[in-house]
Amino acid sequence: MIFEERQIEKNNFSSRAMLLFGIVILGFLAVLLKVFSLQISGYTDYQLAALKNKNYAVPVQALRGEIFDRKGRALIRNEPTFDLITQPNLIVDVELFLNEIRPIVFLTEAEQSKYLQSYKEKAFVNKELVLKKDLSKEEIARFNVRSFSFDNVFIAKRYRRISDHPEVFSHVLGYTSRTENDYTSLPEIPRSHWKDVELTYANGLITGKTGLEETYNERLRGQHGSKMYEMNARGQLFKSFSFLQPSKGADLYTHLDIDAQKSAAQFLGNRKGAVVAIDLQSGGVNVLYSAPTFSINKLSNGMSDQEFQLLIKNAEKPFFNRALQGRYPPASTIKPAIGMFGLANDIVDWEYQIKDPGFFTLPETGRIYRGWRKGGHGKVNMRKAILVSSNTYFFSLAYQSDIIQLAQHLSSLGFGTKICSDCFEEDKVFVPTPGWKYSMMNAGWVTGDTVNLGIGQGYLVTTPMQLANYASILANKGKAIEPSLVVAGNQKKPFRTWKNEGFANLDWEKMHEALTGVIESDFGTARSIRSLKTFQVAGKSGTAELVSLDSKEAYQEVRNSELLRDHSIIIAFGPMPNPKYAVSVVIENGESGGAVAGPVAIEVLKSLIDE
Amino acid sequence: MNKIYFDPYLFFSIFLISILGLFFLFSASNGNFEIVSKQSAYVAIGLIIMMLISQPDPDLFRRTSGLFLIFALILMGITYMFGPEINGAQRWVRVGPFSFQSSELLKLALPIFLANFLFNKKLPIQTKEILITLIIIFCTFLIVARQPDLGTGLIVALSGLFVLFLSGLSWSFIGGSFVLLVISSPFAWNVLLQPFQRQRIATFFNPESDPFGASWNIIQSKIAIGSGGLFGKGFGEGSQTQLNFLPETETDFIFSVIGEEFGFAGVLLLLSIYLFILLRCFYLALSARDRFCRLVIGGISLTFAANLIINLCMVVGLLPVVGMPLPFVSKGGSSLISLFFAFGIIMSMGTHKKFLPQ
Repeated sequence: MIFEERQIEKNNFSSRAMLLFGIVILGFLAVLLKVFSLQISGYTDYQLAALKNKNYAVPVQALRGEIFDRKGRALIRNEPTFDLITQPNLIVDVELFLNEIRPIVFLTEAEQSKYLQSYKEKAFVNKELVLKKDLSKEEIARFNVRSFSFDNVFIAKRYRRISDHPEVFSHVLGYTSRTENDYTSLPEIPRSHWKDVELTYANGLITGKTGLEETYNERLRGQHGSKMYEMNARGQLFKSFSFLQPSKGADLYTHLDIDAQKSAAQFLGNRKGAVVAIDLQSGGVNVLYSAPTFSINKLSNGMSDQEFQLLIKNAEKPFFNRALQGRYPPASTIKPAIGMFGLANDIVDWEYQIKDPGFFTLPETGRIYRGWRKGGHGKVNMRKAILVSSNTYFFSLAYQSDIIQLAQHLSSLGFGTKICSDCFEEDKVFVPTPGWKYSMMNAGWVTGDTVNLGIGQGYLVTTPMQLANYASILANKGKAIEPSLVVAGNQKKPFRTWKNEGFANLDWEKMHEALTGVIESDFGTARSIRSLKTFQVAGKSGTAELVSLDSKEAYQEVRNSELLRDHSIIIAFGPMPNPKYAVSVVIENGESGGAVAGPVAIEVLKSLIDE
Repeated sequence: MNKIYFDPYLFFSIFLISILGLFFLFSASNGNFEIVSKQSAYVAIGLIIMMLISQPDPDLFRRTSGLFLIFALILMGITYMFGPEINGAQRWVRVGPFSFQSSELLKLALPIFLANFLFNKKLPIQTKEILITLIIIFCTFLIVARQPDLGTGLIVALSGLFVLFLSGLSWSFIGGSFVLLVISSPFAWNVLLQPFQRQRIATFFNPESDPFGASWNIIQSKIAIGSGGLFGKGFGEGSQTQLNFLPETETDFIFSVIGEEFGFAGVLLLLSIYLFILLRCFYLALSARDRFCRLVIGGISLTFAANLIINLCMVVGLLPVVGMPLPFVSKGGSSLISLFFAFGIIMSMGTHKKFLPQ
């Protein structure tokens, strides 16, 4: 090549190389610009994203509050138990490991197969896995001696929710069960992290399902804590670098009384029924018992599905809280309320008397309404009518009453309303009125319906809670304090007072005198329980008919079927003349109120008064 | 003739980046001494190879260029027939205890061969010669791309095209072939690309569509670089790297490790060294003794630059993910040795002067 040509070629090469190297420099600039936008402009965003990648927050379960009775004795407490926890990622050969641990802790076949199943999922990441729950003292001792040879196993304290009276208090305390929704309580922790929660309870994340556990769940459950871990891309957790302690839930101090509740259970025995007792000064519910019952300890700490189904399907309905949801005709226990209505509205006075032939004839139709005693009680006034529980007197009184006014009066005594401020799923039932009957049965109200109401039969039904509340209004001479299970603290409870210009303090004294006579006088229907105690008690018993019959002979036939037998009911308060407690007892198919429900009421009052 | 042919600027900048690379690799491999000591051995061997290769006169490479290409192609054939299949591709050939990615050799053999073919052609280059060159480039590309290794295939093709361009390809031809390329691109998309490659490109244009699948790598890489900030999180302190959120930290994504742990400052330093190496190559090309040397230095150094920029663009999210290491830094013996080999050739071409009147 000649020199000139070489020079042309060289220049040509230079310009082209310059072009290409220029493009390379542009490439460098583009990369630098991009890196600048990532590292300088976008720094905060990417730094956050990097933290989000590696920081793994894990919730730490809080201890629930405990529940105490009115004397400070534990009703539900957190009992520490010990579980054997393993770290699957440190176990090389799981079969070998099980062989080594088997002489130390007893493992059932089910526990082993469950462990092997979960092991496969957990071995990949360094998370904990429970091998055996609730270790015995011997197992703990055996493990502690040999723990040096197991660096992949440790014992951890896990709590159980335990009541020392699991059956007596089942309905009122309620139970806890595992929950899937606890993640809402710590919204800053993503829901997916909850599978790694550090548990405090052996049963896992729990929430109140019924009773006080449910009503006061927010107060009891406390605030979960959280631990922040450093996590790698495989999901393995490393050191935790911050720890927000969980705070225990608030304890509940209730008005409940272990002794009184236990005597309610003891004297109700294996009969179905309910007992409610109220402290007249505070409105606190001292006893809330329903039978039959179940064990909340089993339910709260992991009951098998099979056992649970048996409970639910039990024909005796142990889950049913009869004290708050059972609907029973008040029967003769309503008579004081009817009497108050008659006196307040000047339909009758204490002197007014009628002749009781043992039945009442409805003038319009000639239909006969029978008393409980053949031949009647002779001449009866208000006091005697209450003492001997004359049906004729109250039929006649109800006959002269305006049903709308009477229904209002009953409502003002708490019937047809929710009584207890913190009871779980209380039934408010209803007070029958012409409007109610028309909408429910598409039929008009007849005078006979009002007449039946006079002795607490017919359409009127109440719960034991409503009866106890009614008894406490009678005992407090009209002062109605809202019943509650949990002590309200320093704040004064609101109360309403049942007042009527036609019903003066003197009337209240006479009413108390009459109701005391029911038990304490020689003529009272409940005199059979007079000798069971040392103090005086006022009350009114009742026998709720489930079938309306015209003769005793017919009832003898009905008796053969236990479920059709009359319910036995009593309301009572004492000690008279300055009552401190009111109580209601309903015994299903117990028959004769005073003699059957009466002793239970007396025993409950005794254990409340004796302290 | 006891003169040692060696360019001190190139030598020390390459030495510097290799040593820095070992440090980066130590952190990127979570402190794995085995990997780093193995890589150190490769660096040492590589430096020696570079020095040895830069001694012979460029004429030796020119005269053996045909043999060299044929040797590389035969090696490709052996790989194709006997090489172990890794991740659905056959790229490696085993020689005793060493495995070697045979396509690395083609990146050198092709530009040298074409430089030899074109260096004495009259300007402008004839259509016939252009066609022959293009056919050689295309065949070589096909052989590599069918391995399948599209990324390396394109680099090999580029190495040839650089030489063709530098040797004086006419502009009208460039314009015409560009139009042709655009027209044929749908064909290339459907026939040449494997489904996973199409997936990668699709993901690139819409990375958030699949945050835990194909685009995971690029998202994590951006987070790593971005969270490094101005001065980085410190050596061995990058959470993205150390906790394995970042994939392929030792190979393709080692730049993200540097970005995370040494920040913008570290990136600037690294890029400056690379730029210095390239500018030195540019200078050597311009001052080389003849057209053959110019074409070889230009072709090889531009291939090196393309390799580098594609890796950088990939990890910062400017290009779709293609398997391409960061030169002199990423783990891997065969790419490192062939790099030293390449720079040995550049040094030989740049330092041998003919005693001709200037």
